[in-house]
Amino acid sequence: MAANDKVNKAETAKEEPASPILIQMGIFAAILFVSSLISPLFPASFPVPTPVIGLVILYVLLATHIVKLRNVEKFGDFMISLIAFLFVPSGIQLAASLDILKAQGIQIVIVVLIATIVLLVVVAYTTAGFIWIRKNVFHRDVNVDD
Amino acid sequence: MIILTGTAHMAVWGKWLGDALGTNAAGASAGNALFGIFLSLMVYLIGQWLFKIGKGFFLFQPLFVGMVLGIFILYLMAKAFGTDTATFYKSAYLPGGNIIFWFLNPATIAFAIPLYRRNDVVKKFWLEILLSLIVGLFVSLFVIYFAAKLIGLDKIGIASMLPQAATTAIAMPIATAIGGNSAVTAMACILNAVIIYALGDWLVKFFRINNDPVGAGLGLGTAGHTVGSAKAVQLGSIQGSMASIAVVVISIVVDIVVPSFAKLMGLM
Repeated sequence: MAANDKVNKAETAKEEPASPILIQMGIFAAILFVSSLISPLFPASFPVPTPVIGLVILYVLLATHIVKLRNVEKFGDFMISLIAFLFVPSGIQLAASLDILKAQGIQIVIVVLIATIVLLVVVAYTTAGFIWIRKNVFHRDVNVDD
Repeated sequence: MIILTGTAHMAVWGKWLGDALGTNAAGASAGNALFGIFLSLMVYLIGQWLFKIGKGFFLFQPLFVGMVLGIFILYLMAKAFGTDTATFYKSAYLPGGNIIFWFLNPATIAFAIPLYRRNDVVKKFWLEILLSLIVGLFVSLFVIYFAAKLIGLDKIGIASMLPQAATTAIAMPIATAIGGNSAVTAMACILNAVIIYALGDWLVKFFRINNDPVGAGLGLGTAGHTVGSAKAVQLGSIQGSMASIAVVVISIVVDIVVPSFAKLMGLM
């Protein structure tokens, strides 16, 4: 629990112990199931996939204190720690598109490499810019606790 | 029944292995998932081991090693079975791969937790977050468009490159809608994650991105999707929270902005 308490700003997990892992998984399963029912309601031209809806639902449940951090964080943090491994099948999926890579492969990989760096740098510096404007033009507070 | 060539002796062993992997006609329906799960874990663990003994050399990042090694092993096995890599991948690896892939669903919604842990930052900067992602995406789209054009991608290729900031499940249908190839877009989304996972630490240092933790988080979540968010969580709680919100908001922004951008550039 000590590791959780350290990063836990919004609520304390001290008073009550974490929920049993099966209950935590049950909450995730329930949210995913409800999300999978909502996802098809969006039109084909505006797709919103199940896990994105699930993320929003879990956030809303946490923000409204219906679900407490201690109900979900043990399982959730574990899943996040696994994410690189969970991406291995997606990476290996490229085995099915080796023929695309043969045709335009090098160009595509170069453009994707550029795009990745551009998205990272442009979004990061745009944000820094807007926060600078907030501070220096509107004179609003920009301090946050670490 | 791909492997019945060769000696009778070979055929028996080949049939046994083919049945076990689910690549024979008989086994194809059942599809043995254990091979895919085993291979995924082995290549990833080899990657972790290489990363450790390579003292953190970026090309030895476990996800990258796992991907390259996994594809290479499937390629060799497909050769041995006398079939092509794509077919072998589908029959032997995919059943197991899909089981691991499914767990990206709960892993993605789990990012609501780091997001909520820094709800104070979200509440304070919600307007800056929204504006930065919209403006940042728009600027990036111009750069990506002209970079793709310069490097010589055709119209389909360019259209396939534009939606990659969104999560795969959103990016693919958008790519199709604007005249791209959704398989190429899916590949781009996967490569985003692999690149951020391998180069993220270095890029953050090189471009001094971490001076602004809010921007660092939003950038990592946009460029590297959930894998970028996992990187951001390691940088700090603000970064982790911002990357998690970026994954959701940028996907919705791509839904809206990319089709208009494609129209503007005359792609559709």
